[in-house]
Amino acid sequence: MRALAGWLWSAALLLILSFLVLYPVAMLLLGALTNTNPVVDGFGVYDISLKNFIAVLGNPNVLLALANSLIVCGGGTLLAVAIGLTFSWVVVRTDTPCKRFIAAASLIPLFVPPLVAAVAWSILASPKTGLLNTLLASIGITWRFNAYSMFGLIVIFGIYYAPYVYMFTASALRNMDPALEEAAEISGATPIKTLFTVTFPLIAPAIISGMLLSFVVMLGIYGIPAVLGTPADIPVLTTYIFKLTNWSPPLYSTAASVAIILMIVTGFLVFLQQRVVSGRSYITVAGKAFRPGVMRLGPWRWFTLALAVVYLVVVVVLPTLALIVAGFRKFLFIRSIASLFDMKQYSLIHFERLFDNPLALRSIVNTMEVGCITAVVGGIFAFAIGYTVNRTKARGRRGIDIISTIPVAIPGLVVGVAYLWAWIGLPGGLYGTIWILALAFIARFMPDTIKALSTSMLQIHRELEEAAWICGKSLLGTIRTIVLPLARPGVIAAMTLLFILAIRELGSSLFLYTSNTMVMAVLLLDYYEGGNVGITAAFSLVQTVLLAVLIGIAHLLSRGRTDSSSVGRAG
Amino acid sequence: MIRLTRRQALRSAAAFGTFAIIGRAQAAKPFTPSGSLVDAAKKEGKIVLYTATFIEVEQEVINEFRKKFPFISVEMIRAPGGQLIQRVKTEAAAGKLAADVLIHSDRGLTKGIEHIFADYAPPNAGDYLPESLVSPKLWPTLTAGWCIAYNTEITKNPPKSWMDLIKPEYGDGQIAQVIAQSGGTTWTRIMFERQMLAEDYWAKQAATKPRLYPSGAPCSDALVRGEFSIAPLVYNIVYPKERDGAPIKTFFPSEGVPIVPYGSGIPKTAQSPNAARLYMDWLLSEEGQAFQIKQHGNLTSLKVAPLLPEGFAKDTKVWVPKFAEFEALYGTWIEEWNKVYGYRQ
Repeated sequence: MRALAGWLWSAALLLILSFLVLYPVAMLLLGALTNTNPVVDGFGVYDISLKNFIAVLGNPNVLLALANSLIVCGGGTLLAVAIGLTFSWVVVRTDTPCKRFIAAASLIPLFVPPLVAAVAWSILASPKTGLLNTLLASIGITWRFNAYSMFGLIVIFGIYYAPYVYMFTASALRNMDPALEEAAEISGATPIKTLFTVTFPLIAPAIISGMLLSFVVMLGIYGIPAVLGTPADIPVLTTYIFKLTNWSPPLYSTAASVAIILMIVTGFLVFLQQRVVSGRSYITVAGKAFRPGVMRLGPWRWFTLALAVVYLVVVVVLPTLALIVAGFRKFLFIRSIASLFDMKQYSLIHFERLFDNPLALRSIVNTMEVGCITAVVGGIFAFAIGYTVNRTKARGRRGIDIISTIPVAIPGLVVGVAYLWAWIGLPGGLYGTIWILALAFIARFMPDTIKALSTSMLQIHRELEEAAWICGKSLLGTIRTIVLPLARPGVIAAMTLLFILAIRELGSSLFLYTSNTMVMAVLLLDYYEGGNVGITAAFSLVQTVLLAVLIGIAHLLSRGRTDSSSVGRAG
Repeated sequence: MIRLTRRQALRSAAAFGTFAIIGRAQAAKPFTPSGSLVDAAKKEGKIVLYTATFIEVEQEVINEFRKKFPFISVEMIRAPGGQLIQRVKTEAAAGKLAADVLIHSDRGLTKGIEHIFADYAPPNAGDYLPESLVSPKLWPTLTAGWCIAYNTEITKNPPKSWMDLIKPEYGDGQIAQVIAQSGGTTWTRIMFERQMLAEDYWAKQAATKPRLYPSGAPCSDALVRGEFSIAPLVYNIVYPKERDGAPIKTFFPSEGVPIVPYGSGIPKTAQSPNAARLYMDWLLSEEGQAFQIKQHGNLTSLKVAPLLPEGFAKDTKVWVPKFAEFEALYGTWIEEWNKVYGYRQ
């Protein structure tokens, strides 16, 4: 009887996973292989061929978008490595003052929605009218910042995705046995030589892993290239896919084919990353207790502290100031720096206009609703999967594990296209409801949630559950009375993480919202594309404040256990 | 490239003046809806408005409507014309169309989905110019005109005509353009350029390397910020900014003003059909038209305009494309425009 229950349990989980992950991906693939328009034709007519793929691969615009994606994300990754590695070394291996502050500063960009960051940087570094350029002009410097360029995109990606590299490399540096470094020093190597010939090569797997992950995340981001790439006519794969679905008539099949290409590239890189993680990453962890050496920097420690301060100013302070100026200023024409401080130019007009439209408030309510559904349903489901995979011997748990990991390799925008394909042709179905957004988010962030939950579950020793069984408790009773209470902080942390990820997600929402289910991230993009920088900045500020408050509450609820490692995947 | 025959050119030329823009001094007749319509609308309490008009302009119209009918809230979804039609088609096909009213600048596109609209005519239907109507279900809630706008802080030698915009002295990104397929208003302007100004107008204009924008809204905002100096823009997106003190100036060129009567309607699936009717009736009334003319510089398709927008002289020539050409030339001319301006698909 128990075996049958276990079998049924696994079958139910596999069924739900198929519904959440396999069915949309299969429909996406089908979409790429046919010319059916699901909106008009439903799913009745199939004419399967590879024509779309051949056409897409032969289309110079697709190849240009692919090349741009690789250049932008490649360049961004290199910069992210330089920044992330520097700060992880500064925090873990030097005597720089205020290290807790630097560690926090290194992670803050993860919480900034990419679209908000891009809007802020378009206000700061537009080549002609950017606030930084006005400042340069006022002091007689002719050189100009240009966020609307390949270089601008690379820099913005690099600075906002450096935390991925930081997280991987900081933990590797912390867990590293210093014996080899000591040997190098005894052999007469300078500290810098030791750093480049011993330390960094030793943590190479962590560096590569962080690099690949940040590259994958950048590939799937829509907000940054939409805002900074479009004015300079730099299409990337994500912006190209969105454009195809907005074409008249919309080219859904072509978009599906391009999405599959993006998924293949991403999947390959995730595979590489997992190979690296499972291969050499623990080589530096030895069995004995140790404490990595700290390099005394002398007066240079103020320089490393200054680097962190500059980083914080660039990723948080300047963009926030830019949003404040644009959100409160009536017109964003700034003659000179003096006119920036002319208080007559400032008003609440953009906020009034924003909230004149009831849709703004509705989008906030919808976003919270989607966030709550995603967090609760997604949290429960992830717990069920995590428990089944990690704590039971249920049949099919390997399959459950594999399917639940697949979304790691699917960029948000592609999840959106897949769900659109899967549900739009079925009238009366999920399309147009809050649930399609929530289910897409649950699927998209499932690997992150399960990972966050599994960590806390693995900390509970098996003998506690065994004791409960011996006392006659059923499996569900054991979960309710032993596992859940013990894992509660971890479960709350995972749910709050899921909530935050859901409320800032743009990529997958773009294809799934309707007017009744408009969410904040999409409305913000609408305002941006609607051309009013003032209202866009005002709404960005509203979002930033809301997000800061929610993250604060989440932090308190989970007592700091929120796993920030996944926050930046939303885009 | 399609070449206009002499007859076509003459026919197009004849389009000048077919729109009677007649202003009059007396105040517009106040809007007085029937009590039963107001009661029914009040019960519904809200409408969802899909619009291709610019956000801030539409919001002012909504606010004015709500001064009179505060018991009806209006939720607005705004997108450029092409994208908006796509959204409507997608939602309609899925049986999830949320719009109670669709305000659209491209009569060709809304006529293409005429079947989704309910039968509707405003109480003053007979006051409208027949040539502004392409379907008995679709109405010119707004009639927009094109002007040239420039940033006064950075333009040393402002242009004075449409033909000035092809002069090399305005090259090197000083001018910005909205892409041809953005919507019906832009399509009208580029037809005007080719049919009325010069066959090679696009090529000469493209040679000045204008900056391209996806729609008029971001283009007008960028003009105010000083991203570029000059742009042809729909008057209603720049006039309110000029009115509120932005560093820009606008003018109607003497060669003529391309105008665009909208094709707006009420979908059959409207959840609040009475509130939608009340909104449309008010928009199309003399009172609603007068508000849009005065506040936003719009024109009107009423046979007798209650007033003229500021800066619009009584003898200004207006141009409306022949609707048959407006529909028939779209695909090929847009493709040619994309090629000439180097706009990629």
